[in-house]
Amino acid sequence: METFLDLWAAYGSTVTFAMVNALFALSTYAVLSTGVLSFTTVVFAAVGGFLAAQLSGKFGLPLWAAFPAAALGGGFAAAVVAFAFLRLESHWMALASLALVLITRVTALNAPALTGGVNGLIVPVRVEPLELAILLALCTVVFWRLHRSWFGLASRAVREDAAVASTMGISPYRIQFIAFLISGVVGGLGGAALAFTLQFISPETYFIGIAFTMIASTVLGGSFHWLGPIIGAAVFTALPTTMQAIVPQIEDVAKGVVLLLIMIFLPRGLIDPRAWGLKKAAKLREETEAKRAAERDAHA
Amino acid sequence: MQLFVEQLINGWALGSLYALFGIGFGLVFSTLGILNAAHGTYASWAAIAGYYAVERFGVPFPVAIAAGVIGGGLLAVVVDQIGFQPLRAKKTGMLGALITSIAFWIILDSLAGFATGQQSLAFPAASYPNQMVVMGPLRVPQMQIITIVALLVCTIGIHLLIQKTRIGAAMRAVGWNEVAAALGGVNARMVILLTAFLAGATSGLAGVLGGISTSNVSFTLGEGLMLKGFAAVVVGGYDDVRGTAIAGICLGIIEVFVAQYISTSFRDGFTYMLLLAFLIARPRGLFGSASFVRA
Repeated sequence: METFLDLWAAYGSTVTFAMVNALFALSTYAVLSTGVLSFTTVVFAAVGGFLAAQLSGKFGLPLWAAFPAAALGGGFAAAVVAFAFLRLESHWMALASLALVLITRVTALNAPALTGGVNGLIVPVRVEPLELAILLALCTVVFWRLHRSWFGLASRAVREDAAVASTMGISPYRIQFIAFLISGVVGGLGGAALAFTLQFISPETYFIGIAFTMIASTVLGGSFHWLGPIIGAAVFTALPTTMQAIVPQIEDVAKGVVLLLIMIFLPRGLIDPRAWGLKKAAKLREETEAKRAAERDAHA
Repeated sequence: MQLFVEQLINGWALGSLYALFGIGFGLVFSTLGILNAAHGTYASWAAIAGYYAVERFGVPFPVAIAAGVIGGGLLAVVVDQIGFQPLRAKKTGMLGALITSIAFWIILDSLAGFATGQQSLAFPAASYPNQMVVMGPLRVPQMQIITIVALLVCTIGIHLLIQKTRIGAAMRAVGWNEVAAALGGVNARMVILLTAFLAGATSGLAGVLGGISTSNVSFTLGEGLMLKGFAAVVVGGYDDVRGTAIAGICLGIIEVFVAQYISTSFRDGFTYMLLLAFLIARPRGLFGSASFVRA
């Protein structure tokens, strides 16, 4: 128990941030799994974060009420973004969503009544790691169920080939719109979770840094399975801490090099269902061949 | 009136830097299909290379510029070969290269911090043309004229290269479909190297010129250029250098005018308002091709 407490004192904040980043990564994964590369999770997180901060700060809303409000806010923002952006071709989508992240920061800076402007907002409520873990577990269950549902199947079809999917009666627009809504809700939750973890947010909180963290976490962990973003966020969040312990002078450089190496050697991410499938198939083939060989020997 | 024209030239020169930077970013995005997060670091490193060439070896101004341009180009080629080339064979699309470019961004930014001792350096005043050119009632710094001319030359040169030459045709072909281009007899590997070098060199040029005229040689230089250059690419349309050039100049002029006549606090706000307006009203940018769909 003693050692556990020591470990928690040293790495507790890393675990907490890993859970927050996992929410962001899941939000990015939601759209990525339908073939849309979008950085707009940051926007949804900003909406959710500032909404939750204001509700709990000004109106004294408790935690369990602030989170659903943040989710709703994020979802609403996602509906607006999806309506405006889903007609764009994929390359433009990536650029436009990145541009929207820049615009969000400037908007937040210039709306001090809502966001505290340059000075930021102090958040009076704190989320406990256990509560965060429950929230993440709930989201994970939803993603797990979705993965095995008709929607999951349809989203994989749209990702692989939107044209083929639409000839089979799946509307790519509809699937991607729903994916955006899910991304918005989870992103809003993540934004609120970040606000309640940091207890101080400003327009700089929801900016490029977070956008690249979430996309790197998702792709690092693997964007073909719901477990990928969670593992990826844990690895990506733990990297700086680990590197600081090993090579304190050049921790940033080391973090970049590790990210580079993982991507070059495992471009589909750490969690790759196709690799599992291939391995399983190879094993099955070996077994059947061995069996056949045995039968042939028996006949001979 | 005099102030107006002077500010117009100020904005034009500033916008030229954004556009020069954006051209390289757009070139890589349209030809190689890479959203390169590390592009800003090429500019920072080019400025650092130029600075140390002046500081250590006392080279004249044109050599310092050349050091930055070639340094930026070579850095881009190295990043491409280490970070992007291994992923091309594995068909990871835009995603894999985006992540490796983020990795390079982290690495190169942090190394740039070491190279400048975590502070902002300035070129010595005697190392570049710092006189004023007097044109009637106007006094324009020489560096601004150099910057404006540099953008004009680069835009016209690269536009002609892409639209009128065989190499340009090969670049467009690779941008459309690398495999089909290779089947048509295009040496895709050479085109990729050339594009990477060209992109690194133009952003390197923007980096050195920007580092001199803003007296800021550090990793923040590239980040600043990246945000505005990116806006220029989106507004102008990423598959046409003319659009990027015009949009960059307009953004620079708007920025200076807003700061001069409205308020400095809206400086960035206006740029991004314009960006948002374009995203909604004309998402493919000023010159973006009408139906650019990859099968």
